[in-house]
Amino acid sequence: MKKFWLIFANEYKRHVLKKSFIFGVLSMPFFLILLIGVSLLSVWLQFNKAPVGYVDPNHLLVDAEQVPEKGSWLFPVAPAVPFDDEASAKTALENDSIQSYFILSDDYLSTGKATMVKNSKTGTNASSDFGDFLVYNLVSDYPNSVVTRLSEGNNLIVRSLEGSRETGEDNWMGILLPVVAGIMFMITVNISGNYLLQAVVEEKENRTMEILVTSVSPTELMAGKVVGNMLVGLTQMVVWIIFVIVALKVAPSFFPDMQFPPIETSYLLLMAATLIPSFVMVAAAMGAIGATATESREAQQIAGWFTIPIMIPFWFISAIMLKPNGALSVGMSLFPLTAPIALPLRAVFTDIPTWQIAMTLAILCALAVFSLWLSGRIFRLGMLRYGKRVRLREAFQRSK
Amino acid sequence: MTAINVNVNEISKSFGTVQAVNGVSFDVQQGEIFGLLGPNGAGKTTSIRIILDIFKPDSGSVSVLGGPMTEQKKNKIGYLPEERGLYQEIQLERCLVYLATLKGLEETNARQRVGEYLERFDLGQWRKKKVKELSKGMQQKAQLITTLVHQPEIVIIDEPFSALDPVNTQMVKDLLCEERDRGTAIIMCTHQMHQVEELADRIALIDKGQTVLFGALDGIRRRYASDAVVVRSLQELPASLPGVREIIKQNNHSLLKFEPGKTAQDILQMLVQKNISLEQFEIAMPTLDEIFIQVVQSAGDSK
Repeated sequence: MKKFWLIFANEYKRHVLKKSFIFGVLSMPFFLILLIGVSLLSVWLQFNKAPVGYVDPNHLLVDAEQVPEKGSWLFPVAPAVPFDDEASAKTALENDSIQSYFILSDDYLSTGKATMVKNSKTGTNASSDFGDFLVYNLVSDYPNSVVTRLSEGNNLIVRSLEGSRETGEDNWMGILLPVVAGIMFMITVNISGNYLLQAVVEEKENRTMEILVTSVSPTELMAGKVVGNMLVGLTQMVVWIIFVIVALKVAPSFFPDMQFPPIETSYLLLMAATLIPSFVMVAAAMGAIGATATESREAQQIAGWFTIPIMIPFWFISAIMLKPNGALSVGMSLFPLTAPIALPLRAVFTDIPTWQIAMTLAILCALAVFSLWLSGRIFRLGMLRYGKRVRLREAFQRSK
Repeated sequence: MTAINVNVNEISKSFGTVQAVNGVSFDVQQGEIFGLLGPNGAGKTTSIRIILDIFKPDSGSVSVLGGPMTEQKKNKIGYLPEERGLYQEIQLERCLVYLATLKGLEETNARQRVGEYLERFDLGQWRKKKVKELSKGMQQKAQLITTLVHQPEIVIIDEPFSALDPVNTQMVKDLLCEERDRGTAIIMCTHQMHQVEELADRIALIDKGQTVLFGALDGIRRRYASDAVVVRSLQELPASLPGVREIIKQNNHSLLKFEPGKTAQDILQMLVQKNISLEQFEIAMPTLDEIFIQVVQSAGDSK
């Protein structure tokens, strides 16, 4: 057992401490930060916090109050400044004391018509900030619920017949989560699987295999490799998840409107229960492929056939959304290679029968165990074969 | 009585229709260097892999350190396979320490012993270099460290001198002799017969999966000694001598092949009677190369 830990630690450390791994793990968050940073910068460059002027000939906005700040220091609300006539507003615009001005039409309350006068320095926020100002002041006498209703618009909620599941327009997180988790799963499984595949093929290629198998048992060797390399992928996933959580916590301070709806614990459990056995199953299968192949290039070609089916549910995402209980959706959530993405995705749009969840999880767990067993067996048969692949049939035929 | 560390008893192994090993038997004693010889494809590597429990024999049995191979016994075996290999992308010292810990050494102990061997093998300054940066000869030495660092009771080495220069070859020879003196049983597979002649106490010759020769090196050489003597004289030998059917002149000596029924003693007496002054007179022993070729060819002819 001690040697299992030695192999496990060696496999884990030799990848995790590699510069390329650290770079790979951090590059995704850095890339996203860079992307968001550039987007923010481009918005900020078009943003102008200078006041917005308005001319209100019909005195609709008497004793108007400024819209309260939402807490964004980066994009503060541009205050609205009243002018008695257009000439004074125009002078202020020319003096750069305001970024633009609006003239409310005589029939504004019935038509909502207003004229905006601006120059090249006017920010893209001028219209929306003045719009908020108008709404805030014109309906200030109404109850809060009406004000909220008017300012936030529709929220269409789609609910299942049983009433146990629902999704609303503001619950975009529920749809985004399985998609993001699916992409992360694919990346992680590919990384872990490829490490494992390389680790097994590499020792055949560099001929260290014979020394290893005269030092440890094939079972300890394979188990140490599978667990070590899976943990490499999990480390990457955990780092990314931590990053996403931090990003979700930090984002509202930049974008006050961006409030994240809570995610149900049962949904998170379903995702974990689906993804973990799938991960073991695919990683072990990759190990088995590595053991059958004689060169890493050959192994990667075979592994490609394994990873492509995982992303099939993304191709049919609209079909799953429209008919989450259709034959295609159910079939994909039961098929082991498509289940890790299809099942959580279906769960967003429908109430999946318990038997289907139980069957999918049972299939995935059974296949995970089977893959581990098979990879160990193929590994023992193929560990010293150079130039000749182990055929799957042999793994079942041979007894030693 | 010397303990037997490895006992191979009538092992056979086939792969598909190919009979790789067919009834091979030999034993290796504690504190001896045992030469396992044979032409390419004779079954040497398969026999070794069976000893190491990498392959299970179809029939026959192997006893290692008094019984079947176990995971614990693997720690007492040092193996240098014919197919050399180390992790190329990691530092030399880290690679060797890792492989030493897999042989049961604690990391601190492994690090200390690896350090000592690296100095001895003149690799100290390369310890922090990646293995792939080392020359073939250096990697060969590094692999020998892996084989010996855990002070095994049995050492199995396949072609230990390949890629080594004469200085390092001598160093490895000295090391193997040290190991033998320490009581280690060493099985050495090589095609370099002069190395076997120099180092091995006993040998087994395998051909076509079968043991065709087994025993002490001296005994085997005597068994295959031809009816000839090596003579070096201060004077020119006559063109013909009584009892000698052929005189073959070689560099600085002559090979006298005697007639049937004559012995070396008869030839010596004849030379003394003829007042031929001798500097050297010895029974012409065949080299291991000659025995090897003779045995393999005769085995081929008899098929």
